[in-house]
Amino acid sequence: MKTFLKELIDIKNWKKKTKVTWCVVLAVFAVCLVLSFLKPSESDMKAQASAEMQELLKKDETSSRKRVTVTYNSLFVINYCSFSSSGANAISEKYVGFAGKIFKADTGVGKFTGQMVNYTYRMLGSGENILHGAKLTLFLTTISMVIGVALGTVLALGKISKNKVISKICSSYIFFFRGTPLMIQLFVVYFTVPAVFGFAWRDLFAAGDDQAVYKGAFIAALIAYGLNSGAYCAEIVRAAIQSIEKGQHEAAKALGMSYGQTMKMIILPQSVRRMVPPVCNEFVMMLKDASLVFAISLMDITTISKNIMTSEVSYNVFLPALVIYLIITAFFTWIFDAIEKKFSLYE
Amino acid sequence: MAQNEYILETEHVSKRFGDLVVLKDINLQVKKGEVICIIGPSGAGKSTYLRSLNQLETITSGKIFIKGRLFLHREKDHTVERIDKETQKALLLEMGMCFQRFNLFPHKTVLQNIMLAPIEVKHEDKETVKKEALELLKKVGLYDKANEFPNHLSGGQQQRVAIARALAMKPEIMLFDEPTSALDPELVGDVLQVMKDLANEGMTMLVVTHEMGFAKEVADRVLFMADGIIAEEGTPDHIFNHPENPRTQSFLRSVLNV
Repeated sequence: MKTFLKELIDIKNWKKKTKVTWCVVLAVFAVCLVLSFLKPSESDMKAQASAEMQELLKKDETSSRKRVTVTYNSLFVINYCSFSSSGANAISEKYVGFAGKIFKADTGVGKFTGQMVNYTYRMLGSGENILHGAKLTLFLTTISMVIGVALGTVLALGKISKNKVISKICSSYIFFFRGTPLMIQLFVVYFTVPAVFGFAWRDLFAAGDDQAVYKGAFIAALIAYGLNSGAYCAEIVRAAIQSIEKGQHEAAKALGMSYGQTMKMIILPQSVRRMVPPVCNEFVMMLKDASLVFAISLMDITTISKNIMTSEVSYNVFLPALVIYLIITAFFTWIFDAIEKKFSLYE
Repeated sequence: MAQNEYILETEHVSKRFGDLVVLKDINLQVKKGEVICIIGPSGAGKSTYLRSLNQLETITSGKIFIKGRLFLHREKDHTVERIDKETQKALLLEMGMCFQRFNLFPHKTVLQNIMLAPIEVKHEDKETVKKEALELLKKVGLYDKANEFPNHLSGGQQQRVAIARALAMKPEIMLFDEPTSALDPELVGDVLQVMKDLANEGMTMLVVTHEMGFAKEVADRVLFMADGIIAEEGTPDHIFNHPENPRTQSFLRSVLNV
């Protein structure tokens, strides 16, 4: 038991001792599972309202104009419920439920906890469509990086090609997309392109679709981000290809392999491992650049937190935003580490 | 053109990098089964000559014939006679090459290294190729390393795999570019043994080497190259025991510490 605890504290060796890591993960998961079962139910939370508030709620049932706003959020192991009435003598009550108990959350630690739960819930985009909050950020980053790596490989091969025309075209593309701000590129794709060619991004979707505007903006963002990361990935791929020693080309040539075969079977597979760390870096940059979509009305983590800040005048809102970004980054860094390890098998 | 008796022939091969002349008008005829060792000081153009034979270096001018057929003809840095791609590739594959730094493909196992070119370039049947590859590995004494990655092997083992990889293409000529120069002294022996076996089987070999012992023992003919020309050539006995050219004499004196 003592050694087990020692291993737990010894964070440096966690990677080697995956067993221990898994134990920790499973333990945390088990605790969360228990806590989530103990979590007070929605009806319990809603029943907490004071007598005064109950009265208002009862009145609301019959009147068409509601005076009380009820918010209920459930986040993994903790839940949050707030009642607030509008009008001359407005009152508001907040409650946090945790481990079978319900706490009042109007002041101090309770208030802070309640805020965190509420904000995190909204930033994760729980209950909303997939183009909302953290889900939007994730989708946008992942898909545009996939586009970027594919496009980057093509551009890199073009840039090192012996055909001067192809090489020039690819270099110019990279020069253009690395030399202009991503936000302007986003504006050009979202505003200028439809204006010039006479269409609107929302037209891509059915007229009855009430999400058409957001979906259209998402497609535009995807294109802008994909084209942009293509330029950065091209340089990463090119550097990786050119870092493979000349002898590999010579050996392949002496065996009668064509340029295409050499690239496909010898050079690119070897460059993948060298690409992983800089691509991971680019991924993390892209994840944070994704916050620029606030400019075209998409609701990502950053947009939501800014909206909450202005509407509720609460500056705590940026704390859960930081944590969410950190968790996403940590997750992808871990994935890229695993990929790198897989490809370093032969070294 | 009656070059048929020679498996490899070069006429007036020259190469220059700008003003620097690397090869000056080299003529060589190689008979089938001949083992030729090329010795000489560094910078003499030994490696460049060997590499220009299979087009890793582009020659400035000259003709190269393989098995009596024109493989390359260039004058003043331009190809004079165009040889159709199929023929040229077929002739290129008659030459197998081993490099000083092995140049094995590190992301493929030993077996995959050997099997890759026969399958992808010659489109041979996979099962047959595998059988032959394992046979070759047995020959170079590395049968048990078939599924290792090259970087997990010693230098000597890697070079033997490289030889097996070149042999898998069934070349008629083997080119060795300082095959033992990057090896620890104690690992040289195994590689040389494999090369000796190959020579005894009647393989035509061109070996750029600093292993004078090997040249003495195995070579049919030794070429001494200096300053881009073949300064002297002859039997090992002639070159090592009765060299005529003063350059050869001084080179051998410094190498053999006589």
